[in-house]
Parts: sequence; C-alpha cells; structure tokens
Amino acid sequence: MSYCFNIGICLVLVILQTTVMPYLSMLDRFYDLLIPFIVYLSLSRPIREGLLFVCFLGFIMDNLSGSFFGLYLTSYFWLFIGVKGITQLLQVGKRVTSITVIVAAGVLAENLIFLGSFVIFSPEQQLAGDAVKIVAVQILWALLTGSVFLIIFRNTHNWLDTGFRALYARRQNE
Amino acid sequence: MVLIVGVIVLIAVNIIVLSVNSRRYTTFGLERIAISFISPFQELVTRTMRFTRDIWQHYFYLVTVTRQNQIIRTQLNQALEVNNQWQETALANVRLRNLLDFEKTISEMVVAAEVIGKDPSAWFKTVIIDKGRADGLAKGLPVVMPQGIAGQVIEVSNHYSKVMLIIDRNSAVDALVQRTRARGVIKGESTDRCRLDFVLRKNDVRVGDTVVSSGLDGVYPKGLRIGLVSEVIEHDADIFHEVIVTPFVDFEKLEEVLVVLEVEKQDMASRQ
Repeated sequence: MSYCFNIGICLVLVILQTTVMPYLSMLDRFYDLLIPFIVYLSLSRPIREGLLFVCFLGFIMDNLSGSFFGLYLTSYFWLFIGVKGITQLLQVGKRVTSITVIVAAGVLAENLIFLGSFVIFSPEQQLAGDAVKIVAVQILWALLTGSVFLIIFRNTHNWLDTGFRALYARRQNE
Repeated sequence: MVLIVGVIVLIAVNIIVLSVNSRRYTTFGLERIAISFISPFQELVTRTMRFTRDIWQHYFYLVTVTRQNQIIRTQLNQALEVNNQWQETALANVRLRNLLDFEKTISEMVVAAEVIGKDPSAWFKTVIIDKGRADGLAKGLPVVMPQGIAGQVIEVSNHYSKVMLIIDRNSAVDALVQRTRARGVIKGESTDRCRLDFVLRKNDVRVGDTVVSSGLDGVYPKGLRIGLVSEVIEHDADIFHEVIVTPFVDFEKLEEVLVVLEVEKQDMASRQ
C-alpha cells in the first residue's frame, strides 16, 4: 500500500509542478514540491523504501528538467540522508515548528547545491541577478506551506493504511 | 570512523559524476524512458486545463467577446487592407526567390508542436513538446515562433521532445544587431531576458535595436528575430559592451511552437 501511495504522490507532484504551477503566475517562484515529500520519506518511512523513491524522483526530475544529469538526484539523496541523520541525532521532527524549519532548510539546501554546482562546474556562466530573491521567496513559501504538505502526506498515508488494514481484517474474518 | 570515510567517498564520487555530466549534456539514453512515462500524464493534464480554460473563455465571457468582436471587425478591415499590400509584397518576394533559385519557403519546413510541460526548476528553462522522433524531430533542431527564436531540441523520445529555451543559462545563439551588423552571442540567464555577449565596444549598439540570428552557429537559420536591445551598459575597463536583450517571444505564455526540420535546416545553411 505504501509503495502505491508513494508512486501516486510522486506522479501527482511531478505533474502538478510541470503542468499546473507554471501557468499560475502567483506561484512562479514556488519551491520544489518534492522537497516536503523527500522530508516526509526521511522522517516517516524506512530507509530502504525512502531511498528507492528518492532515486526514482531524482531520476525523473533530472530527465524532465534542463539540469545536467544527477543534479536532482544529488540534492534529493543528500537531503534525505541529511534530514534522517539530523532528526535522529537531535530527536526532532515531530512538532509542526521543527517540520516547518526542516522543509525550509531543505529548500535552502537544494538551492545551495544547485548554485554551488553552477559555480563549480560552469563558472564562466553568470548567475541570474535575482538569484537571492528567488531563493528568499522559495524559503518564504516553504515556511508558510511546507509543514502543511508534510502533514497532508502523513495523514493521508495513515488514513489509507488504517482503511486497508480494516478492509483486510474484515476479509480475513469473513 | 567507517561511516565518516563512507560519506567522504560518497561525496567524492558524487562530485566526480556531476563534474563529468556537467561537461556534456548526456543522460545515457535513459531520458526517453522518463519522458515517455511522465509526458502522457502531462499531456492529459495540460489538455484538460486548456479545455477548461477554453470553455470558460468561450461561454462565460460572451459579453466581452461581443464588444471585442466589434473592435476586431474594424481592425480586420484595416488588416485586410494591409494584407493586400503584403500579398503584393509576397508575390514580389516569390518572383525574386525564383530568380535566386530558392526552392522552398520557411512555412514548408516546420512541424507545429504543443507545449505540454515546463521545467520544474527556477534555474533552468526547458519545455516538453508533444512531437518526437516519429514526427521527424531530432536532437539539435531549432524551435521558432512567429515572433522569433524560441530554443533548440535537446532530447527526443518517440512522441515527445525536450526543448531548451534561449533564456536557459546553458543556451547560446550566434547573433547580429540588425541595424549595424555587430556580432555577438545571445546567452540566457534563466530569467525573462538574455545577454548579448562579446559585442565589441567599437560597434554601435543602441537601446531599441533588433537582434537577429546570424546563422553562423549551424543551428538557427539566419535572420530570425530574437529580441530587442533593452539596455546597453558600458564598462571603462572592458572591450565589450554589456548588452541586455528582451526576447520577442513571451516564454511565460508559450503554448505552441514550430520546429524547423533537419533537411530544411541544411537547405537554409546552403543558402547562406
């Protein structure tokens, strides 16, 4: 059930941010919607399951974007590992405030990896003049909405999981 | 200790792989799988959105449309008059082309495609279109709009392709300032404008000048419009102008594009 749920969410998020969001001018500088999902995988799912979907999403996004191959994969992988490590070390990740900060930090980390790769691998190209503004707006959006996405993922998964378990138990009893 | 060494090794491998990939745009052929998997869903959602939007525009804005209709009718009459003049010019053009032994016009060389998906990242500017190898598309083909150059095909699957727009930071187009023939390279900034690099200070460039493709990059046909010079910045210690160009194509509202086919591209090159 978890795998089906994750595949469904991946598909919905990727489609949403490549087809719907570019046409909404208010959301043209929205952050990468998959970051809350990566954070959710890191906080709530086992490592093996999480890593599988991190690689799957990284692969899909690398191919759909104009970035060079491996950039999204790198960001998602280190975001997943980083969140897993830090939350276990500091014992945080259950409160809304900490979730909000984690998602915002994830958005900042992804942008830093992107900008860092531009600086290291193609230093001859200039960065967009409003790069700081883009990152600031994305972090602001993440602070406002990041935890909402995470709670939706977590609650939907729990709700589906409970429903499927109840259905399975009823079938067993019959 | 083992964990730290493992992480360091992983980071090193990661940087090496990224470094190799950043030098040459390659996806080892895996891209076709991802595009073929996601693009049908993108197409479905995009078409549904456009269908809904069309219903809204057609049925709920009838009052506005009636008013607009009156204005448009007036404009149409004026346009017909202009069109007549253009037809005369076109006929003259045909005669001149025949004289120069031109065989085809640009209208016969393109495939129309619909944009079904846009780049999810703010740092890159690419779009997915609903035409692919089956429609004759290949990697490297130029993509244009009636307003001007839009970009270049960078990846092709059977029925879908990825197009890098000229505003992408990895894009470069050899260009000329139409008025003075000053040469430079149009580079994207992943914003809504471009830079015209390597224009020597001795060349005259002014705000409002039109920039067109030079055809020397072997990708874009010569003479296609790119944009208007919106800013010229002079640096005392620099031998080049810093020129900012606003593209004619509105990339925010990109819905349909025209892909210039390979065979015809070669024809264009041979004409130059």
